[in-house]
Amino acid sequence: MSDYKHPHQDAEFVLNELVGFDDLCAANGFDDINFELASAILTEAGKLGSEVLAPLNVIGDNQGVKLTEQGVEETAGFKEAYQQFAEGGWSSLIADEEYEGQGLPNVLCTAVNEIWQSANMAFALCPLLTQGAVEAIAHHGSEELKQTYLPKMVSGEWTGTMNLTEPDAGTDLAAIKTRAIPNGDHYLITGQKIFITWGDHQMTDNTIHLVLARLPDAPAGVKGISLFVVPKFLLDAEGNPGVRNDVKCVSVEHKLGIHASPTCVMSYGDKEGAIGYLVGEANKGLAYMFTMMNCARQGVGLQGVAIAERSYQQALDYAKERLQGTNKDGSRFAIIKFPDVRRMLMQMKSATEAMRALAFVGAAEVDRAGRAQDEADQRRHQARLELLTPIVKGWITELSQEITYLGTQVNGGMGFIEETGSAQHYRDARILTIYEGTTGIQALDLVGRKTLLNKGEALAELLAEIEETVVALSKHEGFAEQGAALREALEAGNTARSWLLENAAKDPAAAGAVSVHFMMLFGYLCGGWLMGQSALRAQTLLDAGEGDPEYLKAKLVTAQFFSEHLLPRTKASLETIQKGSASIMALSEDQF
Amino acid sequence: MKVLVAVKRVIDYNVKVRVKPDNSDVDLANVKMALNPFCEIAVEEAVRLKESGAASEVVVVSIGPKACQEQIRTALALGADRGIQIETEELPESLSVAKLLAKVVEAEQPGLVILGKQSIDADNNQTGQMLGALLNRPQGTFASEVKIDGDSVNVTREVDGGLQTLNLKLPAIVTTDLRLNEPRYAKLPDIMKAKRKPLDVKTPADLGVDLKNHTRLLKVSAPAERQAGIRVASVDELIDKLKNEAKVL
Amino acid sequence: MAILIIAEHDNSTLKSATLNTVTAASQMGEELHLLVAGEGCAAVAEAAAGVAGVSKVLLADNAAYGRQLAENLSLLVAELGKDYSHVVAPATTTGKNVMPRVAALLDVGQISDIIAVEAADTFERPIYAGNAIATVQSLDAIKVITVRGTAFDAAASTGGSASVDRVSPAHDAGTSAFVSEEMAKSDRPELTAASVVVSGGRGLGNGENFALLESLADKLGGAVGASRAAVDAGFVPNDMQVGQTGKIVAPDIYFAVGISGAIQHLAGMKDSKVIVAINKDEEAPIFQVADYSLVADLFEAVPELESKL
Repeated sequence: MSDYKHPHQDAEFVLNELVGFDDLCAANGFDDINFELASAILTEAGKLGSEVLAPLNVIGDNQGVKLTEQGVEETAGFKEAYQQFAEGGWSSLIADEEYEGQGLPNVLCTAVNEIWQSANMAFALCPLLTQGAVEAIAHHGSEELKQTYLPKMVSGEWTGTMNLTEPDAGTDLAAIKTRAIPNGDHYLITGQKIFITWGDHQMTDNTIHLVLARLPDAPAGVKGISLFVVPKFLLDAEGNPGVRNDVKCVSVEHKLGIHASPTCVMSYGDKEGAIGYLVGEANKGLAYMFTMMNCARQGVGLQGVAIAERSYQQALDYAKERLQGTNKDGSRFAIIKFPDVRRMLMQMKSATEAMRALAFVGAAEVDRAGRAQDEADQRRHQARLELLTPIVKGWITELSQEITYLGTQVNGGMGFIEETGSAQHYRDARILTIYEGTTGIQALDLVGRKTLLNKGEALAELLAEIEETVVALSKHEGFAEQGAALREALEAGNTARSWLLENAAKDPAAAGAVSVHFMMLFGYLCGGWLMGQSALRAQTLLDAGEGDPEYLKAKLVTAQFFSEHLLPRTKASLETIQKGSASIMALSEDQF
Repeated sequence: MKVLVAVKRVIDYNVKVRVKPDNSDVDLANVKMALNPFCEIAVEEAVRLKESGAASEVVVVSIGPKACQEQIRTALALGADRGIQIETEELPESLSVAKLLAKVVEAEQPGLVILGKQSIDADNNQTGQMLGALLNRPQGTFASEVKIDGDSVNVTREVDGGLQTLNLKLPAIVTTDLRLNEPRYAKLPDIMKAKRKPLDVKTPADLGVDLKNHTRLLKVSAPAERQAGIRVASVDELIDKLKNEAKVL
Repeated sequence: MAILIIAEHDNSTLKSATLNTVTAASQMGEELHLLVAGEGCAAVAEAAAGVAGVSKVLLADNAAYGRQLAENLSLLVAELGKDYSHVVAPATTTGKNVMPRVAALLDVGQISDIIAVEAADTFERPIYAGNAIATVQSLDAIKVITVRGTAFDAAASTGGSASVDRVSPAHDAGTSAFVSEEMAKSDRPELTAASVVVSGGRGLGNGENFALLESLADKLGGAVGASRAAVDAGFVPNDMQVGQTGKIVAPDIYFAVGISGAIQHLAGMKDSKVIVAINKDEEAPIFQVADYSLVADLFEAVPELESKL
């Protein structure tokens, strides 16, 4: 097990040089917020993350959670850590000041979230889900619901959960069966929900469930689903938790990873029905969920960055300490001297930096789209946000599998042994390509709603912007090769886009068949684009004698490595895309 | 009672220092800097005194280039009320620091001045004691417990071999040791509030202090690496080596 | 001009740190005077007069100095120190407490914790917790210095024949008073704070055999640790585990007994000042990091070591 240290230099570089944090704040009405404050916040969050949350990561993995008569018992130590986290005000980062939130930009919230997710992903899921529940109530709930629940959820005094999935309704939420019967000023909810992250625990004195359910007269399918607030404890006249509501966790799943995050089967209405309150209008529940989807999916993409970073730090420590080579004089040297170990570490470092860059740049679009004053600006940022979201989620989490795999590989035999901690990162990462929409769903979203639906316009705009970086790189003597490599990748992107627009109409299976390759192509292309920009910015800073030269010179190398080792994957993806659906769909089901 | 806390911006304790190739100093260009850990304990103690009602105001002072305002803001986020930066280009030596602080003390009249026992860069362990001498005030150095008792303070000190408790007449100076307290983590809302707390900037000239160097740094070198071990043939040889070579017995 | 050395003592015996300081001072100049300030400390002055190389002992015997209070002692040392080229004290908690006050009273700088004397005005001292060594030159007429005892040999405590002069000034600042003290008991120290750690591994064979290590540790005032292998084998409880997943220790001496030296274990103790490894397996990786390696059967070597210490 190794320690976690927040890679503050890289986070700050991305915020400053790629996101343009101060400009973003100034242009979008984040008064009084600037990079200096962001840096102070990251520093303090980094301390809490590495000193309080990170040491509990392995303990949570070993001990997991227990279901008892009283409900789910979280891993020992988590309650104290959560209280420290909540008392520190860290749940309130992004929420509106109206509900005691700090109203900070989403991109800063994202940078801070990376710390929690790296330090202890299982733990960090709890505040992440609470944040989602807060957003749902804040955007769609009545004033009364907001005043009743938000302040305590924002302060972290209560946590929140999202209850969507049912045994027969996973990706296809239209199949939801949970029922809500009107009963005076509230509804009685009955049904079973599965895969409910942090569905129950003893860390706080109340948990607020957001539940999708059907009204008796609801239309069939996706247009008949409503959203309800169901508190674990009903509130008394003073707004404090009182009587236990008719909802409980009946089982916790045994999982491959994130052992300390209780994944609950929640049963609503075993007795008289769980009391719930309608959020917004009836039958709009799924639409409300969609408004939160960008943030939720980007949040999981960020977890991919975070677990890759943690795995990299562990592998790096090991590679520097593990003596397995012998010098001529008989003394021994560490495995980091071996070129192939270097290759693996470089791949981890370079990919993680590119992933962080894309995650932050995507998160900044949430701020810009949400706050833009000018309508054209707003539309442009919204389109970019929607385009980047499936790439952030799909590409980053897929790549995080490879990074954590390499992390274990660097450890050799010790990597297969739990003690080093590498295996935990490998296992924990595995959920990321699955929940919040699998990789396949992200890829379909990219080729369908985000490309075909707008005739490839959003992609064309992105490709044009990447071209600017190609030009800038090519003009610069030191980056000519990187410029050429990015141009080839850009051409692959252009060709793939045209191919999709042309062939999707001809072959109904084409879009689905090539979608993941398509998404991965654009992921690597975006990575190359942002690493190219990073190289240019790093060189400018070096020329001006600003910044830490050691860090900036390393950035030049990680950008070069990305260009040489990861960017060429775009060409392989293109080649496969151009083969279309033929061999994918050729066998009959019986032939499998 | 007002409490004055002096804090220093130093290299983050997690960062491993590198000696510059020309041996002129350690290389601090762009390394991560932080509040000196002993100073953080000093801030925490002052804030606790305020929370317990023993202190009415906590003023934090730091000396150095503008960047040290970051550490003042950190102290403000931890609960100090206002800050004073004394702007200097270089970091002055301990005696000059003590002279600058003495002027601040004359102006602010704190009942207690709390400092870290040493900074983790120069490891001098001097400033608090020097300040005590300049002001002719008593000192409780290496404190592991501080209890205000009317117009005096009882300070338990970590001394070689154990603990010693002294009673000091206020106003007094205290320097902190590691076990005095466990500093809190800054809370997000307090980090935000710290931005708006007052921070005055003064110069040594404002305070009428001439900065003077009493030493010259000739060279900084890396310590000898751990030598490849030697084999000893017997227990006797081992004891001999431990006594006479390693000098640890 | 002569050098004034401040003796470390408890009013009855002269502490050995003084002897190391005398050696350091002897490298700065020839005429060494030793100040014994205390209460009822004539016996200390007598012992001080016998220290080789010391030509004069100054005895300030007064209630004001009985507890070495910095406020009082610094006034005395500053007054006497005006006539010296160097004022030198051991870098003990007493020396560190008093000497910066002396320097400020004399309006000079102070050089802390020196580990080598390059010239009468030039010294080496560790900075950044020993991760770098600075060579500094004093620009002051009077050099006020504290000395890290372990860096210098002790001067002979006998053979000298210094005169003992009583000095009269009694300074009582009247601002501080001694209340109480509590000196460490002889119980085994806490693992992470101990200056000596004796750790055992799977080579111990069983939990009972850890008694061998306990008895060695007690003799050295140290703590007992264990490798993960020993903990996993159930020899000892896991709060004794030294290693990456256990406790991180950095004592002055670390004895690794019957420990092979897995990377996980090394991570927990590699910052120890001196590492001693005792193992019968010549190939044990622990020998690659140990300063002193003894290839031997621990069941013979450990009792022998204890009996000869």
